[in-house]
Amino acid sequence: MSVTQTRTWRQVSACVRTHTAQGEGFRWLELEMPEGFETPVAGQFAQLLLPPPSPVLLPRPMSVASARRSRGRLLVGFLYAPVGTGTRALAALEPGAHVEVTGPLGRGYPLEEPGTPILVAGGRGVAPLLMAAEALSRARRRCEFVFGARTKALLVGVAGARLRLSRMGSRLHVATDDGSRGTQGTVIDVLERLAPGLEPPLVLHACGPHGMLAAVAEWAMARGARAHLAMESVMACGTGVCRGCPLPRSHAARDRVLAQGASANALQGNPEWAMCCTDGPVFESRELDWERVS
Amino acid sequence: MSHSERSAPRPIAAGRVDLRVRIGTLELRNPVLTASGTFGYGDEYAHVVDLTSLGGVVTKTVTVEPRSGNAPARVAETASGMLNSIGLENVGLARFRDEKLPRLAKLRATVIASIGGETAEELETLLAALGASGSVGAFEVNFSCPNVAAGGARYWADPARLEQTLRRLRRHTARPLIAKLSPDVTDIRETARACEAGGADAITAVNTFVGLAVDLDRMGSRLGRATGGLSGPAIKPLALARCHEAASAVRIPVIGSGGIVTGRDALEFIAAGATAVQVGTATFVEPGAAPRVVAEMREWLAARGLARLDDLRGRFSATAAQEPAAPVAAESTR
Ligand SMILES: Cc1cc2nc3c(=O)[nH]c(=O)nc-3n(C[C@H](O)[C@H](O)[C@H](O)COP(=O)(O)OP(=O)(O)OC[C@H]3O[C@@H](n4cnc5c(N)ncnc54)[C@H](O)[C@@H]3O)c2cc1C
Ligand SMILES: Cc1cc2nc3c(=O)[nH]c(=O)nc-3n(C[C@H](O)[C@H](O)[C@H](O)COP(=O)(O)O)c2cc1C
Ligand code: FES
Repeated sequence: MSVTQTRTWRQVSACVRTHTAQGEGFRWLELEMPEGFETPVAGQFAQLLLPPPSPVLLPRPMSVASARRSRGRLLVGFLYAPVGTGTRALAALEPGAHVEVTGPLGRGYPLEEPGTPILVAGGRGVAPLLMAAEALSRARRRCEFVFGARTKALLVGVAGARLRLSRMGSRLHVATDDGSRGTQGTVIDVLERLAPGLEPPLVLHACGPHGMLAAVAEWAMARGARAHLAMESVMACGTGVCRGCPLPRSHAARDRVLAQGASANALQGNPEWAMCCTDGPVFESRELDWERVS
Repeated sequence: MSHSERSAPRPIAAGRVDLRVRIGTLELRNPVLTASGTFGYGDEYAHVVDLTSLGGVVTKTVTVEPRSGNAPARVAETASGMLNSIGLENVGLARFRDEKLPRLAKLRATVIASIGGETAEELETLLAALGASGSVGAFEVNFSCPNVAAGGARYWADPARLEQTLRRLRRHTARPLIAKLSPDVTDIRETARACEAGGADAITAVNTFVGLAVDLDRMGSRLGRATGGLSGPAIKPLALARCHEAASAVRIPVIGSGGIVTGRDALEFIAAGATAVQVGTATFVEPGAAPRVVAEMREWLAARGLARLDDLRGRFSATAAQEPAAPVAAESTR
């Protein structure tokens, strides 16, 4: 972890290129970014602000689901669920409309970490992991992709993912709580089944509901595997200044921050709480106190 | 003489507008400051905002010891505003002095250091350590945090306590002392006058308003603590009223804070008697909000031929509805 991160995020006005329905209740949004917007990495997020008149005041944090270049232009994709006032208003934007985007924000997945990568997605948490799979394949690394949801309708983008993963030589493993697709059970059941056949060390990259992430973290810690989990929090600034997005640090992380003392980065220097937006959103399992994560 | 009889103002070049203002002995390039707690320690935004384009940077309130802050949730959006319950999370005096101030000095920002304490002694400790620092232009004393169990807005709502404390603080620094006040008092004129009597060089009016957001599904607060501080456009009319009251009660400058998003918002505070303003929550929406406010103020004044901010200050009159005080607003730009 570098002590002084250089900040490269910007706020720019981006143009809606594509905006379509995807799966049951999801939307796919692709924005054309102007020059000067740095290419995001998997696990990073952006703050999306609606054009005026917006029904909400603050921007909404959204994981980057894809970043590609087309005719020299950077296109950044988001996969989201319209769940409230802001995301529903976002869903109404037509191609050609503009959105203010602040990013790329936060720290992404350390995909370069050695080991056999297992990507674990829960529901709409699939967004950053599709991008992680692409990045691994560009680095010629195979991965196991575990995708869980309550029911098959919530396996958003599963068909496309299967195709792309198989082209990369990776495997998709599906689990649903109700057994409507794949294994009946949770992603943990799939991990249990897969792990014995994989070459250690295992390194997990996951995103999904906090309950699922806590289970993945516990599973990884019990096996001495490393797990990197993309967390969420209500946010205001997204840039580390408001101190509004705390997640509870583990005892070990707390002791480490205290030991670093004055040499710790100020943004990371709170022994009690890590900030989701700047210390994360991706955290290694041992960094957080999962009992206190809400 | 009626409004229409006056001759229309002749526009001047925006570059000719002099926005400099004075807070005690400190001259500011322009009247736009960042609000404490909304711009970090300044360096977080230095790659997107030229800090020398601002009147000054008011840093996050610092306390003697570092504070970890409150349990989540710490923020909740409400209609045109947000509630926060941060709980004064900050790096503490030592790191502020040794790490943050040198960085801000390198960025050539005018720094107004916000300090907070549960007692007068703690504030004295902070000023004893920072009071002679060459990198601090002025101090803002946060007498108005709504989110701490001790030493918050309620404790400091007592005029006698404010006056005595400022007298003690005055001895520790020659730099301007700005008292930041809570709006949640019966009469802000009393707390403002007490600060002036105690030797404050300026007043900031106002900090956030205590607010509550109920989550009906969980039958609890949407914040980790019951209440939080309300900020953003929702509070602008409330803050303007408190700022106007404070400005009419004291001779020292008043710095307006609450819901400022545009140059016009800022000018409304100036017209109501403020000398300078602070931009807070707007920065969360748009990191470059504060410098944009400076540019918009300049344009508005230039379009009306007003070369100095003093031409506008306090021009608002409570009876303006009947008798226009002056033809300042010749036409609307927005
Ligand atoms: C780093 C990060 C990445 C995210 N990535 C994605 C993504 O890729 N796709 C996606 O669909 N959503 C994502 N979210 C969640 C998304 O930000 C929220 O769904 C959105 O803010 C809700 O806004 P709203 O105005 O529609 O809802 P509101 O009207 O504000 O609230 C509706 C419901 O959403 C909950 N909510 C509000 N804000 C958040 C939040 N920040 N996190 C979780 N729940 C929240 C509220 O408690 C409420 O139950 C991400 C959040 C974070 C912090
Ligand atoms: C997240 C947040 C943190 C704040 N922290 C502080 C603080 O540490 N000290 C302080 O004096 N005011 C603090 N404030 C109050 C602001 O400085 C400002 O006075 C208030 O938000 C009203 O202005 P606004 O509507 O422009 O935000 C904070 C406000 C917010 C929203
Ligand atoms: S959202 Fe402001 S610090 Fe994380």
